[in-house]
Amino acid sequence: MNRFLVVFLSLFVSSVFAYIDEYVNLGEQASSIKLSGKVFHKNPSIIRKMHPEFLRHKRDKTLRQGIRTNEYSLKGCVSCHANKNKINNQYYSVDKKGQFCSDCHKKVGVSFDCFSCHRTVPREDLL
Amino acid sequence: MNKTLNRRDFIKIMNATTGVAIVASGITLTTFASVSEIPVTNKKRWGLLINTNKLTETDIDGMINACKQEQGWGTEIHSTASQKPAWIKKLKVKDKATNKVSSLALMCQHCEEPPCVDVCPTNASMKREDGIVLVDKHLCIGCRYCMMACPYDARSFVHETLNNQKEHMPRGKGTVEACTMCVHKVDKDETPACVESVNSEAVIFGNLYDESSQINRTLRVIQSSQIRADLNLNTGVRYSGI
Repeated sequence: MNRFLVVFLSLFVSSVFAYIDEYVNLGEQASSIKLSGKVFHKNPSIIRKMHPEFLRHKRDKTLRQGIRTNEYSLKGCVSCHANKNKINNQYYSVDKKGQFCSDCHKKVGVSFDCFSCHRTVPREDLL
Repeated sequence: MNKTLNRRDFIKIMNATTGVAIVASGITLTTFASVSEIPVTNKKRWGLLINTNKLTETDIDGMINACKQEQGWGTEIHSTASQKPAWIKKLKVKDKATNKVSSLALMCQHCEEPPCVDVCPTNASMKREDGIVLVDKHLCIGCRYCMMACPYDARSFVHETLNNQKEHMPRGKGTVEACTMCVHKVDKDETPACVESVNSEAVIFGNLYDESSQINRTLRVIQSSQIRADLNLNTGVRYSGI
């Protein structure tokens, strides 16, 4: 019985680690939200598919109408999905190789031009 | 301890409670104000009034530095002097008859009928309903027509790759930029950085249409002028003392 328990537990634990590995580039804050069991995006597949449209819609509302809510704001994306370098405590740019944005965009072969103007790391006081 | 509340203690407690209540209500109000979901309207028109008699040259330098700090420009290293962005400029004007020299801060004048918006081929140069003239850098192709059209030479072109921009102020190579009247602060009911940097009342910011605002009341009683008023652009930035 105990042997079964050990096997079961080790399988369980390894599956948890595999799960984390899969989302290694999710970003500092986003992975901690995910681990805590909270749901930030109700439907991540919609975000995955539609985020350009959401961002485009949001940018026009912000710039032209002055509606500065947090929903679908690029600042929000960057502040959650940026990874931190554990050694020097600095954030990696989200558009650098292997980071959240570029990782996926490279995989699907779609270029993006948000970060030639936008800040690629969370703002200073979040450091 | 069976002490009865005397008059003085009662007043002290009441004062403290009212104070806390006022501060708390203020905090709640600003919290609500910071996330407005209502689009800006033309019921407001933001403007500045610059009094050149009160504004010293040090004040102008302070305004320029505050703008650099807030918006993150001025750290370009590869651009030549003429290429470097200048959102606010220090300008000296001289009356030929009396030789009186006054210095003034010149930035985007936030015209009601902006020539930069007229000439923009992509609609990137645009005016918000509340009178703030901005560049939509998502649409800007860097043709610089607006820089040619602006009578105030208020716009700059970014000539080099930038990084570590301010979160609220995306800036990038190949786009035009100018004073935004600190629109990100104005939307949170705050005052532009340059206005905050001046201690005296030399620069007043406010809603030109609101009859109870300081800028409106001041403009109604003093002599003020628009630079190049002959162009009939109806600028949002007004000057007095020149």
